[in-house]
Amino acid sequence: MAGEVGSRRVCEAERNAPLGMRQQMVCASAAADTLLRDNNMNDKQQNLPTRRHLIQAMGGGMGSLGLLSAMNAQANGELQAAHVPAKTKRVIQLFMNGGPFQGDLFDPKPQLLKFAGQRPAEANLRTERRTAGLMPSPFRFRPAGESGIPVSELLPLTSRCVDDMAIIRSTFTDNPNHGPALLLMNNGTILPTRPSMGSWLSYGLGSENANLPAYVVLCPGKPVRFSILWTSAFLPGSHQGTYINHRDPVPDKLIPFLRNSDASRADQVAQVSLMTQLNRLHLERSGPDGQLEGRLQAMETAFRMQFTGTEAFDLQQESKITRESYGEGHFANGCLLARRLSERGVRFVQVYYGDGQPWDTHSDHDNQTRKLCLDIDRPIAALLADLKQRGLLDETLVLWGGEFGRTPTTENGNGRDHNHFGFTTWLAGGGVKGGMTYGETDDFGFRAVHNRVHIHDLHATILHLLGIDHERLTYRYAGRDFRLTDVAGKVIHDIVS
Amino acid sequence: MAVVDENFDICCSRGGGSRWGLCIVAIYEAGFQCVSKRGLTDFELLYFATNIRPAELNPQRFLGDSDDLCTRYNGIWCPRQSLVTTRLLKDKLRFSPTLHCQKIRSGVVRVLRNTTKDPPRLLLDACAPATAILHCAGLIAFVLWTPLNVALADDDMARTTASTTDSVTFFESYVRPLLAKRCYECHSSKTGEENGALVMETAEGIAAGGSRGSMFSKETPSDGLLFRVLDYNDPDLQMPPAGKLPDDELAVLQRWIREGAALPEYKSTPRPQASQIDLVAGRKFWSFQPLPHVDPPHVDPPQLHSAWPRRPIDTFVLGKLQAHNLTPNTEADRNTWLRRVTFDVIGLPPTPDELDAFQSDESPEAFEHVVDRLLASPHYGERWARTWLDLARYTDFTPDWQSPTDRGWIYRDWVVRAMNENLAYDQFVRLQLAADLIPDTAPEDFAALGFLGLSPTYWKELALAPAVIEQIVADEWDERLDAVSRTFLGLTVSCARCHDHKFDPISTEDYYGLAGVFASSQLDERPLLPDNEVAAVRAARKAIGELEEKLKKVADPATAEAEEIRKSMAAIRTATPHVDQPWAHALRDASLYVQPDGEDRTRLEYRESQARDLPVFRRGNPANPGDIVPRRFLTVLQPEPVAPFAHGSGRAELADSMLTHAAGLVARVLVNRVWDQHFNAGLVATPSDFGSQGDRPTHPELLEYLAAEFVAHGWDLKWLHREILLSATYRQSSAFRPEADAADPANQLLWRMNRRRLDIEMWRDATLAATGQLNLTSGGPSQPVDDLNNVRRTIYAKVEREEMNGILRMHDFPEASSHSPRREHTTTPLQQLFVLNSPWMEKQADDLWSRLKPIEADDTRIAACYRLLFAREVTQSELEIAHAYLDGEINGEHRWKDYLQALLGLNEFHFVN
Repeated sequence: MAGEVGSRRVCEAERNAPLGMRQQMVCASAAADTLLRDNNMNDKQQNLPTRRHLIQAMGGGMGSLGLLSAMNAQANGELQAAHVPAKTKRVIQLFMNGGPFQGDLFDPKPQLLKFAGQRPAEANLRTERRTAGLMPSPFRFRPAGESGIPVSELLPLTSRCVDDMAIIRSTFTDNPNHGPALLLMNNGTILPTRPSMGSWLSYGLGSENANLPAYVVLCPGKPVRFSILWTSAFLPGSHQGTYINHRDPVPDKLIPFLRNSDASRADQVAQVSLMTQLNRLHLERSGPDGQLEGRLQAMETAFRMQFTGTEAFDLQQESKITRESYGEGHFANGCLLARRLSERGVRFVQVYYGDGQPWDTHSDHDNQTRKLCLDIDRPIAALLADLKQRGLLDETLVLWGGEFGRTPTTENGNGRDHNHFGFTTWLAGGGVKGGMTYGETDDFGFRAVHNRVHIHDLHATILHLLGIDHERLTYRYAGRDFRLTDVAGKVIHDIVS
Repeated sequence: MAVVDENFDICCSRGGGSRWGLCIVAIYEAGFQCVSKRGLTDFELLYFATNIRPAELNPQRFLGDSDDLCTRYNGIWCPRQSLVTTRLLKDKLRFSPTLHCQKIRSGVVRVLRNTTKDPPRLLLDACAPATAILHCAGLIAFVLWTPLNVALADDDMARTTASTTDSVTFFESYVRPLLAKRCYECHSSKTGEENGALVMETAEGIAAGGSRGSMFSKETPSDGLLFRVLDYNDPDLQMPPAGKLPDDELAVLQRWIREGAALPEYKSTPRPQASQIDLVAGRKFWSFQPLPHVDPPHVDPPQLHSAWPRRPIDTFVLGKLQAHNLTPNTEADRNTWLRRVTFDVIGLPPTPDELDAFQSDESPEAFEHVVDRLLASPHYGERWARTWLDLARYTDFTPDWQSPTDRGWIYRDWVVRAMNENLAYDQFVRLQLAADLIPDTAPEDFAALGFLGLSPTYWKELALAPAVIEQIVADEWDERLDAVSRTFLGLTVSCARCHDHKFDPISTEDYYGLAGVFASSQLDERPLLPDNEVAAVRAARKAIGELEEKLKKVADPATAEAEEIRKSMAAIRTATPHVDQPWAHALRDASLYVQPDGEDRTRLEYRESQARDLPVFRRGNPANPGDIVPRRFLTVLQPEPVAPFAHGSGRAELADSMLTHAAGLVARVLVNRVWDQHFNAGLVATPSDFGSQGDRPTHPELLEYLAAEFVAHGWDLKWLHREILLSATYRQSSAFRPEADAADPANQLLWRMNRRRLDIEMWRDATLAATGQLNLTSGGPSQPVDDLNNVRRTIYAKVEREEMNGILRMHDFPEASSHSPRREHTTTPLQQLFVLNSPWMEKQADDLWSRLKPIEADDTRIAACYRLLFAREVTQSELEIAHAYLDGEINGEHRWKDYLQALLGLNEFHFVN
């Protein structure tokens, strides 16, 4: 329905034209129908009730289903029309919560060896906690891919994908504490009162799949600050991230209340049919009412979600080869789930590496990093390769990084402190120039010095790749137009293909 | 675009604002001229200087390391890097002396000449090739700093004489370059306004001084402000912030001051007015008016509706409808009205008995009886308190960086009680803002302070620099100011934090006048006891705490020592009987200062019982303080001259100002909120914005009338409810009429009742009421909503700001982190999965089945169920559908439960007509 609604504010559209627009929206429903049918391919194979079967089972008379979908899209506030040509459709963010050290992975700093143990007077290396001298990374870098970009030996498999990555070595953020930095990366502000990026994307672009949420957060546990990181704040509540603890990756446990504990499928078909029947009687008595119809429709979607949802979250549907390519562990499962959700149209999937902040290596940094990298290397490589092989990498933007980086200096003898002055993030896939690095940190990898990229800039760029002008995706609240990038942000055009 | 307004324009309009744009603007506005011997354009020069095509010019690269610039600027890291840096860069360019430079080889610039009379310009030898890869900022810094690092030789100074001319020469030769080097960064004519209102760039500015007055003392030059800040003896008065000047530079300035601080001639011009707000026009805005006396209009009704109006409200509504050739709907049937009004007033469904009683009450006062019964119910307070708690961003828990508590409920219970006792709204406002400052406050009313006492706090890492913490502290004040101004005044005062409010006549001075009240009030906890007993309880608690610690250290609890400690504790408890009373979240008067603690660390300093006036934080940046603003109320809402607050933090005076000067606004806002709850649409559609960006009332006279009468009736909320609930307007059915819908689809004219989706509190309570499980005990600590055994009303469900419960959130419960003007309902499949599959819903179906099972005949049972759930009789077709579903099923009981669960999930149960 792009173009039909334009960038008009949703509530306005809904308020102004409840009847007239409904007629126009019928044609839009055809596309939605197709989408649903396509998504239900697997359902058919397994003889599950499809949307059409369900309609028949409920005695027909539901020709307005698609129409209602369109109305729901309206009610939930999607802008639907691109501000700038979209280069990608969906985002997967691989969140190394706790903050990895850039100098171990993508930003080699040979000078650290030369100045090991020292704190050169001319370099201001002060951070929040007391750190001692410079501590070189013990890990070797090798040129990777055709581009020959040096990548750490800790990521042998991921490094093969370097030609698809734009590695930003000069990211910086505003605050060296986890909470505020997580908020800035997720919500574009250190205040816990603003919508998250995923919510903005859901608000701005809506969902590609009416049976799944537009914004899913996967974490085998809870990241620090928890749900405030995917809050919709003042945006309509439906844009909130759907948080799923995928520690136990069984569909029933992933989506709240997805399964009924004791009703058989036949029972539930009958029950939902009963509700639909009675709700229709009520609707006939009460006259046309978008709210009543919307809730009726949501019930049908919920019913279907029990099957499509199961399917989307069921890793057992993957071939043995695919599963093995991702490897084992929570992060591997998260990456594979992310691919499954993303290919089904979930707009934004975040995969947090782990519970709490596992990358927060204040002590025993080298050993911990070795273990952490062992966990992420194979899944990341598999995810990128898998997306590519399925032809999805072009329309899926993969973002990697933490809420900040770590110090080149040592803390507690063998740890590293938080460092928000300069760290690495990378983007791969949809609309991103591959095989390049962007920006530089200083000789010690401490401070971004060249082509610096603030989190606002990163957000502006992600929105740009999705076809959104970050200055125009606004929401009026408390007397002012809010946006993800507040009053800042610029698109890094150099990394856009 | 004037850069003064950069922040302003960007956040209030959708366009503009790229850093690149700002950067270029900065260069031009700064009057920067690049003169090339070859006649190259300044853009080309930029290209040479930065080796980037202008079109690709990357602001970060251009600006260089903005962190560093900011560090030098304030001596501390500054969070608003880009804006500050841009301005800084601009100021450096603008006010640097003209420099004639020659690039002698790549990366090296030689200063040729330094004159001060020409307009500022940077002369570059443009034959330098593009290989000169200089960060522009680096270049500028180099150019600016190098020539001024000229040490003054003693003989130079010796040669100057004391004559006036020579003094001026001395100023121009030695003092001004130093001021340029050390002071212009913050005290140029561009930046000075924001930094103590001190401009050191002009002779006039130097003579005038800043917000602290003159910098010089004629009698004792060494007592002058400038002298004192430079000598760095007073920790509160030190300039420049980066550190004491080197001795040679200090000697120059001290000599100049001692010799009378001679200045070149200057012309004095009056200072520009701080604020451009047109208060006269602003005061004429509709919602700022005093309340007029409005008589209900005389409607000349067509015969058909002559008897329609029941209360004054109705004549206003009918008049509007008739003006649009519309008629009101017919009355809702009694069952519908009873279900509507019962949910509306007490948040619960009517019981079958109440239904019967109302149906059989044929007296003319039947409706009055119901309304009076409901308003007298103790459950009225529970329903209406929750509406207030949305505004108050209520939480049961405070986060672990405060001393974490779960005692928010003390405030919640106070609100419930205030509602039930029908506390006059003006008193309700006053107590929440200033119970501790009002004489003779009843001890239990100190709980009212929870409105602010439970405010969000943000983590303050004291290992960070004061500038960072100042920003966070300012964010906290801002949130409180926002909550107060939107809740009580329906104004978005917070917009004026960085610039004058763009749409409403509220200046930044107004903002900081109010912000000072919050800077002077600290979150606190206290027992609900008279002030004179509090100290004893605090002391007793402390003593008991210490004894407990001591007891822990005693190895064997059976020893005499342990017994002794226990005895002492018991003695304290006997002496202070209220020592174990739970403490409420409250406030105390104390002001907060963010102070440096060693190098770049921060310490928070509380000055007890001292109020603090804040300076304007220019562009919202505490590192850029302007003039001090006395604590006071908004200018536009009071007569001039504006009186500053004089007592303590000023909270009591704030409440008084609201309730006297702004009584009309306060009443309008409250009346509209109540109306919004009853009709599911406000007369003003933006309940927390009564400013010019907010909507205008659909029925202005009606709102004026109700607000005026509300105040005249002593701010009596129950009076207001009664007027509304007994009106014909409220009695209408919600039936759809195509012709009326075509004319007024949004029902702005109230030709029908709006259908309303039940909030989670109402449908959860209604479900528990239907199953017979609802526990109506009131008050006390909260319980988790997803605990299956929790059968208390939903207002007593645990609300945790930092981690909102999933079920509450799924059902549109507002975030508790900031003021929520009204519930916005969403419709999502996840809500329906809850209906279909949640253990809670399954349990409700089981419980409902247990309740209905004793009824033997299916039809009777179904009929009872319909009365219980929908407050009406079942229809024939519904009976048939039920039979079709239930009959012939093998597992009858299981099927029945499924049936009941389905009914509990129906639209009819979740909506009120």
